Amino acid sequence: MNLPHIDFSVITPELIVIATALVVMLAEFVGAHATPSPTRSHRIALIALLGLVLAALAAVAGLGRAATDIQGMLVADDLGRYLELVVLLAAALGLLLAWDYLPQFTKMHSEYYALYLLAVVGMMFMGKSTELITLFVSLEILSVALYVLTGFHRGQLAAGEAALKYFLLGAFSSAFFIYGAALLYGDTGSTHLVDIAARASGGFLTLAGLALLLVGFGFKLAVVPFHMWTPDVYQGAPTPVTAFMSVGTKAAAFVALFRVLQAAGVSYATWSLVLALLATLTMTWGNLAALRQSSLKRMLAYSSIAHAGYMLIGVTAGMQLGLSAVLFYLFAYAFMNIGAFAVVSLLERPGYHATQDATIDAARGLFARKPLLAVVMAIFLLSLAGVPPLAGFFGKLYLFNAAVQSGWIWLAIVGMINSVVSAYYYLRVTVLMFMTEADETSFLRSPLSNATGLAIAVAMVGTLLLGIFAGPWLQQLGQAALAFAGS
Amino acid sequence: MAIPLSWYLIVAAALFCIGFYGVLARRNAVAILMGVELMLNAVNINFLAFWRYVRPEEPLGQVFAIFVLAVAAAEAAVGLALIISIYRTRKTINIDNIDLLRG
Amino acid sequence: MSMDLTAIPLLSLILWLPVVGALLLFFVRKESTIKLIALATMLLDFVVSLGLLLNWSNTGDMQFVEKLLWIPPLNISYHLGVDGISLFLVLLTTLLGPIVVLYSWHNIKNNLRAFMVLLLVQQTGIVGVFTSLDLILFFIFWEFTLIPMYFLIGRWGGQRRVYAAVKFFLYTMAGSALMLVVILLLYWQTGSFDWIELQQTPLDPTVQTWAFLAFALAFAIKVPLFPFHTWLPDAHVEAPTAGSVILAGVLLKMGIYGFLRFCLPLFPDATLRFAPWIAGLALAGILYGALVALVQKDVKSLVAYSSIAHLGFVMLGVVSLNQQGLAGAVLQSVNHGLSTGALFLMVGMIYDRRHTRLLTEFGGLWKQIPIYSALLLVVVMASVGLPGLNGFVGEFTILVGAFKANRLWAVLGTVGVIFAAWYLLAAVRGMLQGPLDNPANQKLQDLSAREIWVLVPLILLFFLIGLFPNLFLDKINPAVETLLHGMNAAAQISFLP
Repeated sequence: MNLPHIDFSVITPELIVIATALVVMLAEFVGAHATPSPTRSHRIALIALLGLVLAALAAVAGLGRAATDIQGMLVADDLGRYLELVVLLAAALGLLLAWDYLPQFTKMHSEYYALYLLAVVGMMFMGKSTELITLFVSLEILSVALYVLTGFHRGQLAAGEAALKYFLLGAFSSAFFIYGAALLYGDTGSTHLVDIAARASGGFLTLAGLALLLVGFGFKLAVVPFHMWTPDVYQGAPTPVTAFMSVGTKAAAFVALFRVLQAAGVSYATWSLVLALLATLTMTWGNLAALRQSSLKRMLAYSSIAHAGYMLIGVTAGMQLGLSAVLFYLFAYAFMNIGAFAVVSLLERPGYHATQDATIDAARGLFARKPLLAVVMAIFLLSLAGVPPLAGFFGKLYLFNAAVQSGWIWLAIVGMINSVVSAYYYLRVTVLMFMTEADETSFLRSPLSNATGLAIAVAMVGTLLLGIFAGPWLQQLGQAALAFAGS
Repeated sequence: MAIPLSWYLIVAAALFCIGFYGVLARRNAVAILMGVELMLNAVNINFLAFWRYVRPEEPLGQVFAIFVLAVAAAEAAVGLALIISIYRTRKTINIDNIDLLRG
Repeated sequence: MSMDLTAIPLLSLILWLPVVGALLLFFVRKESTIKLIALATMLLDFVVSLGLLLNWSNTGDMQFVEKLLWIPPLNISYHLGVDGISLFLVLLTTLLGPIVVLYSWHNIKNNLRAFMVLLLVQQTGIVGVFTSLDLILFFIFWEFTLIPMYFLIGRWGGQRRVYAAVKFFLYTMAGSALMLVVILLLYWQTGSFDWIELQQTPLDPTVQTWAFLAFALAFAIKVPLFPFHTWLPDAHVEAPTAGSVILAGVLLKMGIYGFLRFCLPLFPDATLRFAPWIAGLALAGILYGALVALVQKDVKSLVAYSSIAHLGFVMLGVVSLNQQGLAGAVLQSVNHGLSTGALFLMVGMIYDRRHTRLLTEFGGLWKQIPIYSALLLVVVMASVGLPGLNGFVGEFTILVGAFKANRLWAVLGTVGVIFAAWYLLAAVRGMLQGPLDNPANQKLQDLSAREIWVLVPLILLFFLIGLFPNLFLDKINPAVETLLHGMNAAAQISFLP
């Protein structure tokens, strides 16, 4: 019997991360029990971080090389490699956030990091899948890992509730996803995206299959009307998990969505209109709901929904321009959103029964207490609002440019108006930080964790400089998109 | 074939809808999980039917169904663990009572 | 002078010097050093900007141009340049910089470092607006200038500072939202973001109309043109003095500049079509601003409404679309910056002493603080348009232009000028003359040397521009001519000479 030829170099970064996850699981047993908990946790975190860095290096080394694949199921093209880089970046920053945060509420360090790494693996596979079974399995890997990570803080009531909601709604949407996959399989007799592209009939089965797949994707991307879980889950999960999740799942899902849409077999005119409407709904709902939140994490959750809406504009714009814009935005979003969550993690009051959450009031008078932190937070918030010359502005510029160039002018206008609306709730936080006095509602966790500080520093540098200095890099992203769209 | 493909698809769709209703209407978390499992298995019927009628020469449909079963089992394990964890702290798994997070 | 300064990237130097100063300030703790570094950076920036005058040639073209391809996939360049229209606006900005810093030396009590950093960064933003020749670069600087002013008003401002700051930010940002989409639309149609290239590309009239409206909305809010002015009074009144000076002196000019630099040359047909509407709004602003200013009790608020009136007048010059109107508009923008800047400074000085701005609290100040009163009188005369001072030259030139375009406009505009004289002189009379009966006023200290130094450059310029206007108009006129020729060539309809 001949074993099929498997080119493992296609999945080198994933293999590295899987190996790290295994090492992390075993690391629990190494080292005496006498070692105090924070140090053990730091050691395990360090191993995990090294694994992420190695995987990132492997991904970078592969950039620019021709695409190769494993039996048509997983492909290593530039698009996949850039996705890996975004996910690894988000994972590394989220890991730095968890460095000191984790020992404060749990002793299960290696379980956390192992699950975390496995979620990363799921995301990376998802961005490289060119076949529906692989796509489904990677989606489930990342989902199940995240369900558990969401509920990790056992001592906190909200966490368990968030995890349950995430699980039930997530499994529910997975069912829709595979129903769509089944219909596409029935239409074409194959689950490989290339075959679907070639053989899809364009009739009812194809349309229904694609629509159901979109429902599945919509859930993961927190697109309205599949966004119900987002605020609760973001609020209940430990902040490092939320930070990582907000970027990583979106990145993986968007890239997978691009791949699926390219193979759709349904005309661009049809699905782009649907996506344009979804984008409008998502942006608007997300921004309007964020205006009313008093919890920082919920506000950022709704803001996350709105940003998914902006990125959907990029998807609507189509393969070439839209794809490079969305990729750029994902990197910018990783920096600014995780940076914002990092600061939020410092404003959280530890609590047992209450939702351990930072209210907006906790930021009161932050500038008086820790000026640099307030300034940095202002940078993240203004970047999220899309104010130049920060990374968020350039991201939106490229997205709206893609929209206008593909003829979706009204969509760009809606996007801009939404940006202005969002500025209000981002500004509100700066008002509290800079223009009001601190009082008993303000809170700041001390001492400031070094790892969190490092994450914030990296995020700030990225937010400040990505837009200004990323011109040539945008060209590379564009080429990756071109190669993908042409294939 | 004696039984047309469309019958299988209709049965699968019906089961899917029953599961869908279960998820939306039941209050007990385990019952909701049962609904989800029903939906997943309904899709399995779809896979097998399509395999048999559209492309029986490749085992692709069977493979997908096996994957779905495996994943469903894993999910059920995790889901039940989460439910037990909630039960331990809250003494209830009625989702109407588990609503600390609002808005 | 024989130095050839065109080889040095002078504009980049002027643009980025304040940021360098701001970065330096991060490492400094001692207050006196902060003050010195901030002032030195601003002064240096001003001196460097004088270099623009040294190598100036009186053509209408862009000078000191720098171009660097920045974001290749979108054809966005780092493209700077200055011509007769923007030259004096840049100089106005760099002149007001050190003045404002010097003024703030003694009256900012907390977080002086942050205050100075914001002033410096603000300067970079404004100079960037006046010198960008690439539409995206322009937009970046345009939006960016909102941030420092927002914080300046919000943190160091008066009672209702938060409301004023947020309103200022959101109102302006909303206005410019459509502008970005339209810029992208122009890129889609023409493949370029470059101002020079866009000038040479004819645009279809429908596109022109939408583009004009989107740009005009953003600029109209900034000027501010009635009825988009409602953010202004709150922002001006609540801002700290330095903020008000920069806001009124320079930030508002960005709106006028926007019309001159973008709406007129790029969308000439649309401009001609909408000119009467804008004139109507301008006139409404002149009359409204004047009437409301008359009944203000707070002197800062009075100056704010007078700004609406004065800038309405400038807009009248802009939409006259002839040589005198446009040249007068440019000159009067500079004049307004100087005189209103000085007015806010003087209001700030009296507020520092008495912590009130209510007109009724003052009276007979002439007897107690003669230097202040004399200077205030000069500044008010400049604002009113007394011949011999700068305001007269600008207003007269605009009136000539407006008269040539439409007599009714000129007549209504003149009425506005008269009103301006009325309320300003009434306010001054109330403050300076009469009995010195309020006991709080009887112990007032006159101006210190620092305060006098702050005002002297402005007052000297009042006389310089007033008595030797050709020094300035010689540089402005060629650029205006080029602008009008360009509009003529591009438009389907021809303009009045």
